[in-house]
Amino acid sequence: MIKEYYRPKTLSEAEQLFKMGDKKYVPLGGGSLLSRSKEDLCVVDLRDLGLNRIEVVGQRADIGATVTLQQLLESEFAHATLKEVIRKSATLNLRNQVTLGGYVVSADGRSPLAIALMAMDAKLIWHPNQETQSIGDWFSLRQPRGFWIHAIQLNLNLVMDYEQVARTPMDQPILAIAAARWPSGRIRVAAGGYGSAPLLVLDGPEDGGVIEAVRNALSASGDEWATAEYRQAVGQVFVRRIMDRISSGLQSK
Amino acid sequence: MKKVSFALNGIVQHWEVADGETLLASLRREGYFGVKFGGCEKGECGACTVLLDGKPVNSCSLLTVQVEGCHVQTIEGMGEHPDQGWKKTAGLHPIQQALVESGAIQCGYCTPAFALAAKALLEKNPNPSEEEVREAIAGILCRCTGYLKPVQAILKAASILRGEVDEQDWIEDTGVPLPVDWPSGADQSPAPAGDFGSPEKLVLTRRKVFMPRMFITPEVRQKTLSRVGKPELKVDAIKLVQGKPAFAADMEKRGMLIAKVLHSPVAHARIKHIDLSKARALPGVAAVLCYKDIPRVVYSTAGQSDPIPGPLDTFSLDSKVRFVGDRVAFVAAETEEIAEQALNLIEVEYEPLPAILDARDAMKPNAPIIHDEPEYVNFGESNPQRNLAAQIHIDIGDVEKGFEEADRIYEAEYVVPKVQQAHIEPHVVVTYWDEDDRLVIRTSTQVPFHVRRILAPVLGLPVKRIRVIKPRIGGGFGGKQEVLIEDVAAHLTIATGRPVLYEYTREEEFIAARSRHPMRIRMKTGVKMDGTITANEMRVLSDTGAYGCHGLTVTGNTGHKSMALYVGDGPYRKSPNIRFYADVVYTNTPPAGAYRGYGVPQGFWPVERHMERISRDLGLDPIAFRLKNAIREGELHPFSTAWSEGREPRPEIIQTVGLEECVRQGKAVIGWDQKFGNPEWHVVAGKPYLRRGIGVALVMQGTAIPYLDMGGASIKMNDDGSFNLLVGATDLGTGSDTVLAQMAAEVLGVPVDDIIVYSSDTDFTPFDKGAYASSTTYISGAAVVKAAEDVAEKIKKRAARMIKEQHPSVQVSPEDILLEDRKAIAPGGEYVTLAQVALNALHHTDQEQIMGIGSYYSPVSPPPFAAQFAEVTVDVETGQITVDRLVMAVDSGVIVNPVTASGQIEGGMTQALGYAVCEEMVYDQYGRAREKDLVDYHIFRANEMPKLETVFVQTYEPSHPFGVKAVAEIPMDGVAPAVGNAVLDACGADVFENPITPERLWRALKEKQSVADHH
Repeated sequence: MIKEYYRPKTLSEAEQLFKMGDKKYVPLGGGSLLSRSKEDLCVVDLRDLGLNRIEVVGQRADIGATVTLQQLLESEFAHATLKEVIRKSATLNLRNQVTLGGYVVSADGRSPLAIALMAMDAKLIWHPNQETQSIGDWFSLRQPRGFWIHAIQLNLNLVMDYEQVARTPMDQPILAIAAARWPSGRIRVAAGGYGSAPLLVLDGPEDGGVIEAVRNALSASGDEWATAEYRQAVGQVFVRRIMDRISSGLQSK
Repeated sequence: MKKVSFALNGIVQHWEVADGETLLASLRREGYFGVKFGGCEKGECGACTVLLDGKPVNSCSLLTVQVEGCHVQTIEGMGEHPDQGWKKTAGLHPIQQALVESGAIQCGYCTPAFALAAKALLEKNPNPSEEEVREAIAGILCRCTGYLKPVQAILKAASILRGEVDEQDWIEDTGVPLPVDWPSGADQSPAPAGDFGSPEKLVLTRRKVFMPRMFITPEVRQKTLSRVGKPELKVDAIKLVQGKPAFAADMEKRGMLIAKVLHSPVAHARIKHIDLSKARALPGVAAVLCYKDIPRVVYSTAGQSDPIPGPLDTFSLDSKVRFVGDRVAFVAAETEEIAEQALNLIEVEYEPLPAILDARDAMKPNAPIIHDEPEYVNFGESNPQRNLAAQIHIDIGDVEKGFEEADRIYEAEYVVPKVQQAHIEPHVVVTYWDEDDRLVIRTSTQVPFHVRRILAPVLGLPVKRIRVIKPRIGGGFGGKQEVLIEDVAAHLTIATGRPVLYEYTREEEFIAARSRHPMRIRMKTGVKMDGTITANEMRVLSDTGAYGCHGLTVTGNTGHKSMALYVGDGPYRKSPNIRFYADVVYTNTPPAGAYRGYGVPQGFWPVERHMERISRDLGLDPIAFRLKNAIREGELHPFSTAWSEGREPRPEIIQTVGLEECVRQGKAVIGWDQKFGNPEWHVVAGKPYLRRGIGVALVMQGTAIPYLDMGGASIKMNDDGSFNLLVGATDLGTGSDTVLAQMAAEVLGVPVDDIIVYSSDTDFTPFDKGAYASSTTYISGAAVVKAAEDVAEKIKKRAARMIKEQHPSVQVSPEDILLEDRKAIAPGGEYVTLAQVALNALHHTDQEQIMGIGSYYSPVSPPPFAAQFAEVTVDVETGQITVDRLVMAVDSGVIVNPVTASGQIEGGMTQALGYAVCEEMVYDQYGRAREKDLVDYHIFRANEMPKLETVFVQTYEPSHPFGVKAVAEIPMDGVAPAVGNAVLDACGADVFENPITPERLWRALKEKQSVADHH
């Protein structure tokens, strides 16, 4: 239950709240999750701190933490695959509300965009020290490197592709595989559709061994929604399809 | 507390709110009841949608303090009734008008959300595609409509807002089914695939509605009716589209308490010790009750007629819990937060008992006994010592002889899951004492009269001191044919003397409400090589969960309907051999109950999957095989002499069977002949791992319960010639109030808006058994016709006298009078208006209140029939299924309102689609639910729907004054098996358990491959 709500107008005002340390202060993005919290919290609304901008510098996008998923979907750099992944991640009502920072913080293994961001090796920039944290590190430990996420950095100089299997087209994934390839040939593959966070399958200079990697990565993926045997089999199918598309240049940037 | 300033519907507001209060809570507290509560925890239902700075968001997951400085729009600011006496308003917004005219409103609970989402879309994009419309409303779940009509309405509104008034343009642009030849009738020959009428043949309706395809038989064509058969506007649409406070929770009562229930965390246990003292001591708590505090009265929660056809095995509160989610204690407090805190302060010590979580274990020797209470009251074969809630043994003909005469015997086991009704309005009730010390129960129920009767002994009140009011219902689908939560609020009102509101959360809907019975079903069928069925057997193990509500009757219908369809051919047609055995067992899982279809979808999954497999194995055309064996007009319903919902069965001849025509029309629309058996159609270019398939299922249902279901109606004439129609029937969003008004209007010769319908209130409206068993249009409709005829007779008598007084030379007798156009007309054209008749009766001569009553029960239950078709695309490497298209051709007799009826079919097919591919309720080894929200329990959204098409094949059922049969439940029956059969057609894999999840299909594909490798 939210006990206290603050809406600072400046970064320093917000910092002061977190520095007080007398209560549990939590950054508030869109509120879609925290508004329902059963835990007693003091929330600090980040909306007036100017974090709702997307800046593209060269081959990098700096996405402010309070950019909503719908803003991201409508951004110029969001290609068809990324748009589709965002669509699968939340409906329009929620996309209008959910911020990217809030989404990343609360994502689990069944969150499509989180799986895609994992493949794209997104970076989290934390306030106040602008410390950078890879999204993989965040999902591994969930250890904040600051008071709040200031921005999420995306490398745009890569191709990303995504496949999922679900009961219906817009259902949560039972298994999802996302893969990104850099011009250097670097390949990074993430899996999801289960568990508490997306899983890194492979990050290497090339795609050699990726089929084995996905089979290994999914060997303990069984849960109440699917067996590991099934996920392993389908994971290999997805990786093959994605790699075929990426190699043939059929994937949009 | 914080002060927050924002613009609400254009007017600046300054509110003081708690920091943690959601916008939904604030708005509803301030009387903005158009913003609805869907009970969800993750913002998945969207019923609470508002526009925040022009964008749709969920007010349930937004703090009120977050809207400081923002513009908030609710439905209350969108449009209003155009005519408010001397004050004229701008009227409804074009989007609202389109929603009303397009038949997009069923229960209306999500309608305000759709209207607002559409407004946001059209302000940003005046010319959206259908796909964009679907995406814009995908955040709002609707369980009634299947989204087709809301999408059509929004496209229509867009067209109107763009200034395009040419109807034909927007009909063509949207690419939805074309209206055909209404009202004069369609061709008698089957239409070409996918096209039922060429544009030049179109008869555009005056209200620009999208009509379903209508095939009209000669018997129906002969009837000339002015109100029945027309797409009249839904009588409650105007209020629902404005978000008026029409639902149970849309009310304010001074001092109203909020109720909460402590649910059991364990599947089976005795309560060793319970301490309520800390909870009771919490400031703001008004009452905390456990089993020690209230009378111990055994009853059944099944909302059925007296005597309840099932065991009495339930207590409001008990010293034993029988499933995770069972009741432990009730709390009433000043706020929801305090009530939640009080729940946490209740100390309970459980003595765990072994639990039965698999129905197959229930009747094993030494199985734990779930109902060991001495008060248990048996019904029929129920036996709590064996965990047996009900048992059915039906043998028709000589089944063993039939098997002996067969050339082949086919046996297989099928499994169907537990699924949830998932109405968007949760269960909700408000109780209070009125000024006469009578207990008022305002509840979202399908069965107000059963609620009153069943609760009276539970509460220690006589029936006459209870008044049940049923306001609008935000969907029910059988889930509200249960006396589920009314007792909780009522006990707390009795304890405190104060009004109490109890509203389920979505999680409670999953852990503590009712659901569809899961079953294991073994089929055994004897067939000759020519396809003649010689004997058919179904053995069912049905899991009723912890309580036996509806267990007997639901499971009985599993056989009664699905096993009646295929009687066999030749001599077997005259004397079919059918066996239906069922054990209905208790387990320590949440109880099952009534869910639209009422056991029949469970039956048709095995029957229709089995028929498909047999026809393929014998090399027979699957449709011809089915029709060869299907029941025909003039034949005896084979089960009618064997079983009737736990009551005495009586023989029943089926008089109308439009099944063959349904097949013909459905095949034409889906293009069956071009696709089935066509290898080219089954592949997808460039994607070798995809396969297309097409499937069919034939189904039948029932129309009410014969010799039992009774509906009553009364009609009263007003000074202006309008009429009050009072019915006990409960419109749960289906449009039954509208079709009842149409029937009354037809008899009385007035427009539908001269009929003011009120339903239902146990103090004022006649008895009706309630909305279930697909009975309202047929049973309650016949009652309305009788009441209207009673009124009409009185009007005619008086009118004849008035005409003679005005025209002394005219000789006219009452039976010569025609009621039409609000007039009573003599054969020579002389007339008096109904308003004149009313004034004469009420004020001038031989004063009387012209009024009529009618009640009706039926000796028959004429079955509707349907042919359900499905097209799918299957990924053979992953098991992913995409359902591309559903076509249903339905014989529901005469269709009273084609728009509301097609809405029933579209919505039903969509629910049934979930049964086919995604919906199921699963429990872990401790009996804990996997699905507790509408994220994990996925129901279809607007942006992932297959194409839906409906064809009505209108027969004329002679047992009803207007020739109607049921519509509501039959669309639940055929989708899952049709999809299963389409999957088989696509990839040769047989899945015996629904829903056909990707892994289930993947395993079936592996199995098929393994068999092929073996050979």
